[in-house]
Amino acid sequence: MSRSMVRLHHGPLNFCKAKICSQSHQVQNYEVFEHTADIGLRIKGKDLKELFQNAGLAVFQVSSRRQYVKNKAHTDIIIKQKAENLDELFINWLNELLSISAAKGIIFHNIKIRSLQDKALEALATGSSVENYRVNTEIKAATYHQLKIEQINGAWVAEVILDV
Amino acid sequence: MSEVQECHLEKIDDYRWRIPKSYKGGMRVPGIIYADEKLLKDIRQDKAVEQVANVAFLPGIVNASLAMPDIHWGYGFCIGGVAATDIENGGVISPAGVGYDINCGVRMLKTSLFYNEIKDKIKDLTYALFNDVPSGVGSKGDIRVGVKEEKEILVKGAAWAVAKGYGTQDDLECTEEFGAMQGADPQAVSERAYERGKAQSGTLGSGNHFLEIQVIDQLYDSELCDTFGLNLGQVTIMIHSGSRGLGYQVCDDYVRSMVHCLQKYNISVPDRQLGCAPVNSPEGKEYLAAMKCAANYAWANRQCLMHLTRGVFERVLNKSWQKMGMELIYDVAHNIAKIEKYNIDGKEKSLCVHRKGATRAFGPGNPALPARYKKTGQPVIIPGDMGRNSYLLVGTKKAEEETFGSTCHGAGRLKSRTAASRSINVGVLLKDLESKGIMVKASGRDTLVEEAPQVYKDVNEVVNVVHNAGISKRVCRMRPLGVIKG
Repeated sequence: MSRSMVRLHHGPLNFCKAKICSQSHQVQNYEVFEHTADIGLRIKGKDLKELFQNAGLAVFQVSSRRQYVKNKAHTDIIIKQKAENLDELFINWLNELLSISAAKGIIFHNIKIRSLQDKALEALATGSSVENYRVNTEIKAATYHQLKIEQINGAWVAEVILDV
Repeated sequence: MSEVQECHLEKIDDYRWRIPKSYKGGMRVPGIIYADEKLLKDIRQDKAVEQVANVAFLPGIVNASLAMPDIHWGYGFCIGGVAATDIENGGVISPAGVGYDINCGVRMLKTSLFYNEIKDKIKDLTYALFNDVPSGVGSKGDIRVGVKEEKEILVKGAAWAVAKGYGTQDDLECTEEFGAMQGADPQAVSERAYERGKAQSGTLGSGNHFLEIQVIDQLYDSELCDTFGLNLGQVTIMIHSGSRGLGYQVCDDYVRSMVHCLQKYNISVPDRQLGCAPVNSPEGKEYLAAMKCAANYAWANRQCLMHLTRGVFERVLNKSWQKMGMELIYDVAHNIAKIEKYNIDGKEKSLCVHRKGATRAFGPGNPALPARYKKTGQPVIIPGDMGRNSYLLVGTKKAEEETFGSTCHGAGRLKSRTAASRSINVGVLLKDLESKGIMVKASGRDTLVEEAPQVYKDVNEVVNVVHNAGISKRVCRMRPLGVIKG
């Protein structure tokens, strides 16, 4: 870690532009911020639906790159999540994506949030076999540690730390 | 004002620093960090000190929120954190004090081979290990079991593997908890966890997990080395892995439920990732039963990995593993929660000891140790980075008195993955390692860069602290010869 970048007592975090994966069909809007052992993501969206969509895609884009066409099949999965508040919904959503991805051996490359309220969402996630990807990092889970979801100048911004 | 004062750290002695209870309203006990002045400078660079203070909020926490010298910023707990809670006094258990990779741990085997005898075979052994031991993200192994047998693994742990012919009774005796925690309940593990862990038995995984051929390059205690049968130039093997996807899912499932327990049990913590429940509550009991399943899965996994390793040595060197003296020294967990008894203010208490990136280090005579280690104290295995050293230590009575029988777990990370990617060239790194006589095989180039020696603290400095502080004792040091990374 760059010593000057991250300071104790909640000093300002510095960000570096993430590599944007070329295989994506959707405009991405996220940055990686530094964490000693894990990965910090700062994600933006014009509304909450876009924020959740971008966050869902970011966790896969930051850890994998499409490189091969070994399996052309695409899988569509409808994901429904409920929670007691927005923060919990956000973490549950990301962890559900990671969990399904690991259990089914698929990487999600397209997400459509069909409905989203503070405590519930329904989304359609589309992915293809992990065999088509070079996976650089295993993301174990999204954590609540220093989680932020806030509206800034009309847009939504989230910061989340992923355990890798 | 110095940085130490800014961080509210008070010097106790050369190797201990206190975060006073007054640092944050809500701390129930002080924090104590084991470090020397040099390591403390690194520790102050990230948010680990804050996390030590946050852990001090946990209900029932006893004595202090502790941190080992390999401490660094984690999520919830710092990595290198130890916290014990008094079960009878509302003490809680927190999945964050164990982590996603439940029973991530390390085992060390000795051999009767000497470096000079097999130095021309290191390349063959490294390539064969890379070929035969599944590694990398989401790696799957040849050991396939049905749901019924998977549940058996969760209860029996390493003994399941031994019953399948993947080891011996001696291996179990040389494994923490004899390779299985009692009280594991497969019913507490979700279907998704089974699915996520499916086909991952006998796989190394990725990230900081590794398999290394090493050679002993320094002896510190000749009497203990004689007892363990270790000499200069002797070849050893180290395996670092955990509970794979099954453990991640168990943690995820219970973090979800424990976040709600904060309100239910009126618990106030400064970080929701520290979600927890009283050990004796239904939620606490269920998590502990599930955590034990994942821990047992990890011990079975490392037993299978050792079996594969022995097989590779047999094939490449054309001798049985018994003839090559490939005996397990010990296997330790460094992400786990245990119920252990300690004397607190003159009374024996049952405590829930969380070790998040910390190793159990029981001293001589501890009843949890097998007969062969009753006199020496528990072997403590401390892996370093792929370019420097690893250590064998033993636990001490002082650790039982000061740190709930705990010590460090490794070198501890110093630089982020993004910083590593920016500053390290993989070609230069490999040449540098080769010049030191270290052969490396990895599934991904990114992993190599992210795990390069320069992103870690110097394990020699970390071990100096735990040795000089008396919470463990150096036995011998190894350096790597062949490295398999996920």
